Amino acid sequence: MSALGDAMSASRSDEIRRAARALLRRPLLRATDPAFVLIRRYAPELREWFDRNTGWRLHIDSEVARLVKQPADTTDTTHPARDVRSKQPFGRRRYVLTCLALAALERADAQITLGRLAEQVVLGAADPELVTAGVEFTLSSRAERSDLATVVRLLLDLGVLTRVAGDEEAFVKDTGDALYDVRRRVLSALLAAPRGPSTVTAEGFEDRLAALLYEIPPTTDDLRNQRIRHRLTRRLLDGPVLYYEGLDDAERAYLTSQRAAITTRITELTGLVAEARAEGIAMVDPFDDLTDVRMPESGTEGHATLLLAEHLAQHPNRALSLEELHRYLRRKADEHRTYWRRNATDPGAEVELTENALGRLEALRLVDRADGFVTALPALSRYALADPTLQEAK
Amino acid sequence: MSEVDFRPFAHLSAPNAELYRRIMGSFVRAKLRFIVHLRPEDVHEVIGGDLPSIVDALSRLVDWGNLRADPDTSRVTTVEDFHRARFLYQLTHAGEAAEQALASYDEALGRRGALQAVALTDIATQLRALLELVHQDDPDPAKVHLSLRSLVDRFTDLADNAQAFMSSLQRTIDLHDADLDAFRAYKDRLIDYLERFIKDLVATGGEIAALVGDIEEVGVARLLDVAAEREAADAAPGVGEDGDDPRQVEFERGRLRWQDRWRGFRGWFVSEPQHPSQAKLLRARARTAIPQLLQVVATLNERRAGRSDRSADFRSLARWFAQAPREEDMHRLWRAAFGLSPSRHLVAENDEADNPVPANTPWAQAPPLEISPRLRKTGSYERRGKPNRVVDRSAQRQYLAEFAAKEAAETAAARRALVTEHPTRLTDLGELDPAAFRLFLHLLGDALAARAPGQRTVMTTTTDGTMTIRLTSLDDGRKAEIHTPQGVFRGPDHLVEIIDLTVEEHVEQSA
Repeated sequence: MSALGDAMSASRSDEIRRAARALLRRPLLRATDPAFVLIRRYAPELREWFDRNTGWRLHIDSEVARLVKQPADTTDTTHPARDVRSKQPFGRRRYVLTCLALAALERADAQITLGRLAEQVVLGAADPELVTAGVEFTLSSRAERSDLATVVRLLLDLGVLTRVAGDEEAFVKDTGDALYDVRRRVLSALLAAPRGPSTVTAEGFEDRLAALLYEIPPTTDDLRNQRIRHRLTRRLLDGPVLYYEGLDDAERAYLTSQRAAITTRITELTGLVAEARAEGIAMVDPFDDLTDVRMPESGTEGHATLLLAEHLAQHPNRALSLEELHRYLRRKADEHRTYWRRNATDPGAEVELTENALGRLEALRLVDRADGFVTALPALSRYALADPTLQEAK
Repeated sequence: MSEVDFRPFAHLSAPNAELYRRIMGSFVRAKLRFIVHLRPEDVHEVIGGDLPSIVDALSRLVDWGNLRADPDTSRVTTVEDFHRARFLYQLTHAGEAAEQALASYDEALGRRGALQAVALTDIATQLRALLELVHQDDPDPAKVHLSLRSLVDRFTDLADNAQAFMSSLQRTIDLHDADLDAFRAYKDRLIDYLERFIKDLVATGGEIAALVGDIEEVGVARLLDVAAEREAADAAPGVGEDGDDPRQVEFERGRLRWQDRWRGFRGWFVSEPQHPSQAKLLRARARTAIPQLLQVVATLNERRAGRSDRSADFRSLARWFAQAPREEDMHRLWRAAFGLSPSRHLVAENDEADNPVPANTPWAQAPPLEISPRLRKTGSYERRGKPNRVVDRSAQRQYLAEFAAKEAAETAAARRALVTEHPTRLTDLGELDPAAFRLFLHLLGDALAARAPGQRTVMTTTTDGTMTIRLTSLDDGRKAEIHTPQGVFRGPDHLVEIIDLTVEEHVEQSA
């Protein structure tokens, strides 16, 4: 009887873990996602956990599950919107187009064509403030059409739109159009900021960002502690490494006394394991799928990243110049000519390769970059070359 | 024929069109009071404004043919008046026709489709009168004609209005950017009105249908003939030149016309199996209009409920993105505003639970991640993580194979030892090794179990179908003894024959 009970609670916590990980991986989930059933089933448990530990709201209806994640750290620049196909980060025009398209969809009927959407976006882009800021969108060139198609593909990926007929490629080539259903519920679950941007009157960029995420200051000690707990849990749950150095005194004091409690709760929910070290904590993932940037990763880029990490880990206390790293990867490219992608070993390819590798390492909070110099952060030592160990055959 | 002269409409597209129309309006109104001529001063008095420009406008209207000017010969009281060219103005035929056309144009455009509940009552009244007339032997033609005429008039009104109503209803429902408050006020009145009308249509419509039925039962044709006859008498003067009585021709034509009208009227209120009556269609239409209206209301409400705010939010964000100082800042804004980024974590391959590292160890001193040497060397590995070692089971498999072979050999030897060429006494089996003895016991058990009480001879085949045993009891009181390394087996002696079915010749023999 108790064995059966154990087995049942084990499968229950396993299911909750899968649901939570699905939400962390994709904070906006459509009902078509396989994990949706689990999320709905354990909605009360998940909602309670996120509310208590992170202050993140979990919204679930028949069409969409949304974990309204406020970022723990607004200075992090490594989470851009990306082209669904090429994975390239969005630039200014695509960001602006995304917002204009969403504004148009907000007022649209239940269905819309790409052509009609484009007209609305062109109208929206005529806003004098946008024009003054130098954003131009008149749909006159193929590049502009292609930008809009990229934006639409992002919206399709998010589930704001579902394609009924046609495709975007035809629109880009100006040979056809595409028809979409507008998923209003997904659309309404898109904004995560606690405040509506249209109610913010601040002018400077930083002021606007701050106003967007403004939370009323806590009034009691309990609330203050709860806020600190939320902040720490958010950082541990959402980001790769938390360095003590980046914390203020109150946060550090709280973490010192509550580290085990916080990390245990995260482990229980997600299966992530705390790697506590002198410089900070990393919640590492034994299942290796709760991330958008993998390390180590196979393939030329992954290998280059690994080699660069290894190299940087040998110089923990020195800032290395970009040129030095270029030279290093140039050498490595020659060494690994047989294994690497052909054009990655072309002369000059090391610059892009280095850029890509450093981008990954930075996203994982393993290096710091400033003015053409790169410094290893403590957790990079995880990727140092290990002393060879001999394992006895069992 | 010459082209129709449309100059009397020229003032509509001229500058100052409004003034011209007001002037013409004053002439039309004057005519209603049987005043034919107007002086400029009279017009000025009616429409006000500025006298010289009115004088100008009047002479332009004369040019276009709307008005006619006659010299004014009346006495004057001032020198200025005397020196001025003075005219009396009156409407020309063309001008009057143009005004009439414009009036009906205005009326047609301005008409809100309305359903007339009163018309229904009127129609019912006329029908009751007709019903009475149809029962009379010799109805008064004048009464019949008048009744039918007013029925047709009322009905034409009703049908026209219904048509206008349907289209205006659709307009109301289709409206996209409706003025909200106006719409809501209109909606309430419209729904009230529709409800009342549907009620009337059901009650009076039913009565009308019944009356139509009653009249037709008695004979509507006679009434229609009477009406047609009366019209024919009115219309045609005397006998024509070709000998046909034009009255007869006119009568036939009139009769057909009246029959048509009646059929149309009938179709409006009485449903045929495949043809629902117009009244029914109208009722259905009016009824569906109500939920459709409610839908418009819902849409309007949805539009108000925060939707426009979110649209404004997105537009603000578009501006913020456009004004962000650097590209990196845009990424920050994206993450903060949309919160769609996935969580990001490092991989664990070291098992922290197995090899705990004290929490105050710097990363540099903790054991690094174990990374497959192959990955470090080539940038790829067959699979993530440590490969499971495949366990080598060949030794066990060999042992099992040997074991099976040995067992098979033993069994074969035992069989050979047991097989008897012919019936043998148990005593003569002599000594058996353990394997053969085990097999023998098995066979003996099978045979004894198969023997029914009182039976002397039994023959049975083992369950695996490899051997047959025939056992015959001897009843001579002799005891058989079989010696085995483990001991001696004793029992009453039997005659036994054991056949190995797996050996070919025995199968052939038994077959």
